[in-house]
Amino acid sequence: MKIMKFYSIVFCCLLAFQLSGQELTIEQIVEKANKAYRYLGDDVKSTAHMDIRDKNGKTIMERELVILRKNTGGLNQKWYAYFKQPADIKKMVFMAWKVDGKSDKRWIYLPNLDLVKRLSSADKRGSFAGSQFTYEDVTGRNPKEDTHELLERGEDFYKIKSTPIKASNVEFSYYVSWVDKKTFLPTKTILYDKSGKAYKEFKMLEHKEIQGFPTMTKFSMTDLRTKESTIATMSNIEYNIGLEEKIFTEASLRRAPRQYLR
Amino acid sequence: MINFSINHPKRTLWLMLGFMFLCAAFVPLIEIDTDPENMLSKDEEVRVKHNELKEKFDMHDMLVIGVVNNDHPEGVFNQASLTDIFELSKYAYTLQTENEEGEFEGVIQRDVLTPTNSDYIASMGDGSIKFDWVMSEAPKNEAEALNIKKRLMENELFYNTMVSEDGKALALYLPISSKDQSYTLADQLQTQIATLSGGNDYHITGLPVAEDTFGIEMFIQMAIAAPAAMILIFILMMLFFRKFRLVLSPLIVAMVSVICTMGLLIGTGNTVHIMSSMIPIFIMPIAVLDGVHILSEFYDRYQETGDRRKTIEGVISDLYKPMLFTSLTSAAGFASLAITPIPPVQVFGIFVGLGILFAWFFTMTFIPAYIMMTSEETLADFGHASEKGHDGLLGRVLSTFQKLTFGKAGLVVGLLAFLTALSGYGISKIQINDNPVKWFTKSHPIRVADKELNDHFGGTYMAYLNFDASADEAPFSKETLWTAIEAKFKGTYNETQLQEIKQQITATQLDTSESPYVQLSDAFADMAYENEDDDDLFDYYESISDAIALREVEIQQVFKQPEVLNYLLDLEKHLYDEGGVGKSTSVAKIVRTVNKKLQNDQPDQLRVPSDVGGVGQCIVSYQNSHIPEMLWHFVSPDFKSVNLWLQLKSGDNKDMEKTMNVVNEYIANNPPPVTLDKSWFGLTYINVVWQQKMVQGMLEAFLGSFIVVFLMMIFLFRSIKWATLSMMPLSLTILIIYGVIGWIGKDYDMPVAVLSSLVLGLAVDFAIHFIARSRASLQKTNDWAVTSKYMFGEPSRAISRNVIIIAVGFLPLLLANLIPYRTVGLILAAILLLSGIITLLLLPALIKILGIKK
Repeated sequence: MKIMKFYSIVFCCLLAFQLSGQELTIEQIVEKANKAYRYLGDDVKSTAHMDIRDKNGKTIMERELVILRKNTGGLNQKWYAYFKQPADIKKMVFMAWKVDGKSDKRWIYLPNLDLVKRLSSADKRGSFAGSQFTYEDVTGRNPKEDTHELLERGEDFYKIKSTPIKASNVEFSYYVSWVDKKTFLPTKTILYDKSGKAYKEFKMLEHKEIQGFPTMTKFSMTDLRTKESTIATMSNIEYNIGLEEKIFTEASLRRAPRQYLR
Repeated sequence: MINFSINHPKRTLWLMLGFMFLCAAFVPLIEIDTDPENMLSKDEEVRVKHNELKEKFDMHDMLVIGVVNNDHPEGVFNQASLTDIFELSKYAYTLQTENEEGEFEGVIQRDVLTPTNSDYIASMGDGSIKFDWVMSEAPKNEAEALNIKKRLMENELFYNTMVSEDGKALALYLPISSKDQSYTLADQLQTQIATLSGGNDYHITGLPVAEDTFGIEMFIQMAIAAPAAMILIFILMMLFFRKFRLVLSPLIVAMVSVICTMGLLIGTGNTVHIMSSMIPIFIMPIAVLDGVHILSEFYDRYQETGDRRKTIEGVISDLYKPMLFTSLTSAAGFASLAITPIPPVQVFGIFVGLGILFAWFFTMTFIPAYIMMTSEETLADFGHASEKGHDGLLGRVLSTFQKLTFGKAGLVVGLLAFLTALSGYGISKIQINDNPVKWFTKSHPIRVADKELNDHFGGTYMAYLNFDASADEAPFSKETLWTAIEAKFKGTYNETQLQEIKQQITATQLDTSESPYVQLSDAFADMAYENEDDDDLFDYYESISDAIALREVEIQQVFKQPEVLNYLLDLEKHLYDEGGVGKSTSVAKIVRTVNKKLQNDQPDQLRVPSDVGGVGQCIVSYQNSHIPEMLWHFVSPDFKSVNLWLQLKSGDNKDMEKTMNVVNEYIANNPPPVTLDKSWFGLTYINVVWQQKMVQGMLEAFLGSFIVVFLMMIFLFRSIKWATLSMMPLSLTILIIYGVIGWIGKDYDMPVAVLSSLVLGLAVDFAIHFIARSRASLQKTNDWAVTSKYMFGEPSRAISRNVIIIAVGFLPLLLANLIPYRTVGLILAAILLLSGIITLLLLPALIKILGIKK
């Protein structure tokens, strides 16, 4: 027994030694962070509330939308965002297909104009419905579009600098993210403009464990120059509800899957 | 007082210099104020509203860079030109610094309107829609350059604002955090522009630049015109008196008065505005007047007595009263400006008035002291004895005047009466108008830019019209809601269904937790989900739920209602057709532009969608751009208030007033679909407001000082007859001058307006001197024939000298680069000469005709 105990101690020490020695590479960190933030579960349904504030912190617009997301293999995903509030844009839908290695395909449905429009891939850095978030902030930026550099391995975070490979496509020159070592969620991201000045800041405000997944439930984006901000709060989050892929088609833009939209 | 200065000349000198240095100590604290908004006081309602609306719509003062290329057939839309513009835009974007408090200063990056920083919306061939920067990088070839032009020309929001009507020129708009940075920024831009070689002409303009130029011109004015006036006056006095040491004394008085006045002005915390910068040049000639009178008298009498003490005592005792009154009337004329509602004009009036009193006081104390300090030997050859007689030009003119007014008094009065009648008609033709850009000379870069830009663009003068519907909101009632819902679904649902909806609305209990619309909408939404499996029923209940929720948007967000937006468009069209507006931008135009782009760019889709939902979706589509906040310059986020950005073709106040009238008439004839409160804002409007206030205010100031001066004359002459007589020449002068202004079509603007009160204060001086001396002489002679001859001798010579000195003293204002200074200089000189001539013609002629003896 004693010997067993001894071996088990030695084994534990070895394991600990090996784990600590096996520091994650920058590629691994980025991949884990991307998965932890954007790819949890096979699919997910959530209700997002966006509080769009002016420079004085006063709420000037609110948006409520149901977001459905399904992973379709590799880095591929399909997104369906249905607007519930305000009333004049109710039933508006934003849909996106992410295909690894290609530009996202994106659609918008405008019910009162009876229009389904494809959105050009060029303007993924445009504002999402008047908020401080861009389309890309909603569905996620493919990490392969940037080169990543580990700036700091902190006690409980990784600090990563990401520089776009095609600088002309985006308005920032690089961004720096702080990734939590436990959850691999980004706790903060700061974007720098072409002259190297910080101009936008993303912050995780709250996170919760839902169905075993550490999930971000509240986060904000602030324009550092104008002090305008948007705070997003996620609720009714449910993973793995078996979303069918046919939801994510042009046909269902006009005929929303109402069972998920309550 | 005078005895003290005669007995203690040195002490008098030191006391005066001491006071001067005390006042001069404040001068370094000088603060220049070039902001035309300050023509209205800070708490003036119009200005408060202007600032409130500027804040509400996040508007800033702007530098405008107009770029033209007159050599290339496509104007600036060629690769080389656009490459330069791209570089310049990029550079301009970086002109921002962060201060210690973490606030950004300089160019406000987000609101920059250049092709590089503006989003365009395009309907793509494949039916997709795209938001992209107009020029995210410099064009690689001519085709790309033309493509950039196409993007701008096809977009109603850029057309005639960023790209010129003829598609040849560009305007770059750089909003800045505060006006006082415009000079540095314009300078930096100029330096950058000097490095560009693409063959463009750049014109930096915009009000902030103009204001900075005011500041510089004001310094030049004070540093050059005032000393020039002093030199001119000095030369004139040398011609008259030929005695350097004595002539120096009134100049010292003038200088000390100016320094004391400006020191006190600055020391009391007043800023130096375009008006107050003219104080030195006003005080200078007026301040020497009393000194000239003393010297003239001293000059004539000294050789008789040969005793400086006796002479000066005699001179002072004779002149004390008229000098006191001329100074008081001049001061009163200027001080009356204090009752105008324009702060810079008030400050100007009060301090010139104060300066005149300083000048009087120093003249009465310092000049006697100065004469006492001058040795008898130096004075030996001063005065009458050295003069070559009275046959100079002035003497001949005066002798002609004497013959005229004595021999042909009736003709003189008749002619002057005829002139007055003509002037009356001229006055009726006076046009009240002003335009700050025209304050600059034609060759000034600001005027050149103004002309060049107006040649290309629909209009470069900005006016903003705000409509507010906050007052419109009606309280909620189930009945009105039902009426709206019934009207909406009458054709869609049958009577039974409609009755069910009505009952459900009536039956739903409302509390105060949420808006009644939300509660009712939720009630129908619940019913929809109770019938989730039945598509028809679900849709039926959901449609009611949605309609109720939408109704709330309709009622609260007034400027999402299609009929309200269409009303704005109709008004804009009318303003374009008849209101002198070359281009206007509004939330209604944004909505219709987005709608057209969404509908595959079909021309007939350049319209506002037919329902609130459609409008809301156009707006959210616009917000999907890179700069969604651009919207808030045109509508408040609650959609209760809008801002129409109007580009006027002319910056003349009369044209702005015309536009305002056209709007008023339009609203009167076409009442808006909802109650709208209208407010104008922007500098073009502010200018109109202070002009209106000024015209009214100046009239009151003039009448006020007229009465005060008249009362003073009654007190001085103790005779209503003589007092009335003393007011005649100046009244006539003012009528004639304004008559001429009306006849020649010169606009009645700020400088012209302030003149009436000034003339009142100055012109009456001549009459006082003339009447005082005439009465004194009449008392001795009791014969106008004798007195007339005497009067056109020494007394008239003294008056004429004063007229010439003061009139010429204002002429250096013609050296200034700013038109208002020139106007003041020229008109004042003309007025003073005229009032001198009229005094010397009218008074003797009237005395003769009326046979006045005492």
